[in-house]
Amino acid sequence: MSFVSSGRLALAASAMALVAGAAMADIRVTVAEYSSLTGPFFNDAAAAFEAETGTKVNIEVVPWDVLFQKLTTDISAGAQADLSIIGTRWLIDFASEDLVAPLDDIISDDLRERFVPAFLDPSIMDGQLLGLPVAASARAMYFNSDLMAQAGVESVPENWEELADAAAKISALGDDIYGFGLQGAEIETDVYYYYALWSYGGDLITADGTSGLGTQAAVDAATMYKGLIDAGVTEPGVTSYNREDVQNLFKQGRVGFMITAPFLATQIANEVPDLNYGVSAIPAGPDGDRGTYGVTDSIIMFENSPNKEEAAAFLDFVFGHDWRVRFDSGEGFLPVTSSVAEDPAFADDPVLSVFASLLPTARFAPTIAGWEEIAAIASDAMQSIYLSDGDSAIAPTLSAAADRINALLP
Amino acid sequence: MPDPVSRQGLAQMNRSLLVNPYVLIAPGFILAALIILWPLASITNIAVHDVNRFGVLRDYVGFENFQVIFADPEFLGALRRTAIWVFGIVAGSIIVSIPVAMILNADFYGRGLARVIIMLPWAISLTMTAIVWAWAMNGESGMLNSGLRAIGVLDRNIQWLAQASTAFPMQILIGILVTIPFTITIFLGGLSSVPDDLYEAARLEGANGWQVFREITLPLLKPFVNIAVVMNTIYVFNSFPIIWVTTQGGPAKSTDILVTYLYKLGFQYGRLDDASALSILMFVLLLAFTLLYVRLAMREEKA
Repeated sequence: MSFVSSGRLALAASAMALVAGAAMADIRVTVAEYSSLTGPFFNDAAAAFEAETGTKVNIEVVPWDVLFQKLTTDISAGAQADLSIIGTRWLIDFASEDLVAPLDDIISDDLRERFVPAFLDPSIMDGQLLGLPVAASARAMYFNSDLMAQAGVESVPENWEELADAAAKISALGDDIYGFGLQGAEIETDVYYYYALWSYGGDLITADGTSGLGTQAAVDAATMYKGLIDAGVTEPGVTSYNREDVQNLFKQGRVGFMITAPFLATQIANEVPDLNYGVSAIPAGPDGDRGTYGVTDSIIMFENSPNKEEAAAFLDFVFGHDWRVRFDSGEGFLPVTSSVAEDPAFADDPVLSVFASLLPTARFAPTIAGWEEIAAIASDAMQSIYLSDGDSAIAPTLSAAADRINALLP
Repeated sequence: MPDPVSRQGLAQMNRSLLVNPYVLIAPGFILAALIILWPLASITNIAVHDVNRFGVLRDYVGFENFQVIFADPEFLGALRRTAIWVFGIVAGSIIVSIPVAMILNADFYGRGLARVIIMLPWAISLTMTAIVWAWAMNGESGMLNSGLRAIGVLDRNIQWLAQASTAFPMQILIGILVTIPFTITIFLGGLSSVPDDLYEAARLEGANGWQVFREITLPLLKPFVNIAVVMNTIYVFNSFPIIWVTTQGGPAKSTDILVTYLYKLGFQYGRLDDASALSILMFVLLLAFTLLYVRLAMREEKA
């Protein structure tokens, strides 16, 4: 008897929950876990939003490494959230399957105008706004002031020629001290080369739509890097150093210069606060060209979301000034909205202000389906060049890589 | 009170159903079908279709995906390295394991402890072992360089993982190290089945140690060597962690074997259709090798 009644009760309760759920229109948001602060940030924002509007927001925090896998699984089951953070370079893959809702008519003009326009560009396809930039980062050159002083390098190198001289002087300081930290392994090996490619006036995709690796600028930039390796002013065996390995050398005070993202400054503050360093622009090429790599992540709305209005309201809420200040300063990202960029927390920070000043020259990964494979081809080509003897392999390796990339380009 | 006749009939029917071989095989077959045949069927289906990176099937393309794999120069390179990788580890671990197993089979003080020490690498996850070795082979701060420098073998650091000529042999050595415990276990089982009186008789006849090994131990161990070859080939062919953790198949794909190449195709480049075709090719390759080897080994035994 008691079994029956409790069973009935449970049934009634779940039926009520169903009715309630339908009426309240909960929304689901998948967010990437940038740090231990990401989850609490979004949960606090969701709680505040619910208190204000009555709409419940369920936050799903997913580690970066498995985010793509999770979205793929959700999509193939038709069970994706209303909103999700994605790497902006994935946007083309999602958009080509018509999975992404265009935001132009969904979000208010007021929300759209809050963003720095350059950050909206990568999310615009065929004239439609498909995502909002949620996190932004750029790259700059870190220099070790103590090593520069010991080696008698008086000013931060402005171009690659000056950098080669300064790196040679610093390398001469000791057997386990290296002038220029050159990343040659794993993810973003290609990006480390693009810094040089851009400063030599090259581009990833040229105006005629073919790979920039086939151009003279690409050969010149690779020859310059190869020259640094052969002169012995980089760490030995660059093809075994991934980004973290080079950063570790920098944190140990054994590398004069390296190029990386703002998060190294956060790590230095936590791990080696005594390290005497600074941040400046990536060296310019012979004609004064410069380029840094800009990366944004976007938040998108899925086309099959039944709650587009509520989801748009949440976007409007979470892109408010105070929430953005808390998010960007907590995670060490660059501001994507104009008002946050002017906030003293960013404008007065010596490291972040340098990164922010480089944003006008920032290039983004082209929005091309299957970009990961193109990046892998470029990385492999660079590793082959770094490992080869002399300069004779540079041009043929790059042109072979360009041919393979051209075959993949639309 | 039930009718005695119908009761007997029921018992008969029960028995005939229970001893029916198909019924007896059914539970095992259904389980095997669920975990082997069903994925195999679904991956074959993916391999003959054009598939987007979210796993949605589009047009039927027949063998086009297989042709893409065969035309890929990376495939042939990975295939060649897989052969070296499998042969190196399987042969290496057997060559090391036979003498070690013979020592561990002999009676000596502390044998129990020695057996535990030899088996320990087995107790550690493969990925953990690979991570520890990746640290040890670090060019700047690795134990391997500082150890070799301390004993005077090296006078400057070697960047072990910077080029395939040092990275790949080291990866095979790690592979041998982690394969040894399992191989020794097989051989210890084999050695304990060799009757002691054979050795006694040989010693009475004045055979030396090498002769005893060649004429008695090795022939009697042969079936166990065959088991070790087949089992280790299957494990090593599909072994992913050592190479992935130390070099991710780099630099410039020069340490890629088929399984790391497969991972890149499927999960980095999102080419699920080509990856499915490759995994079927790998399955067929492994199956063909195993059948061929077992048949050859069996024939030898019968002869």
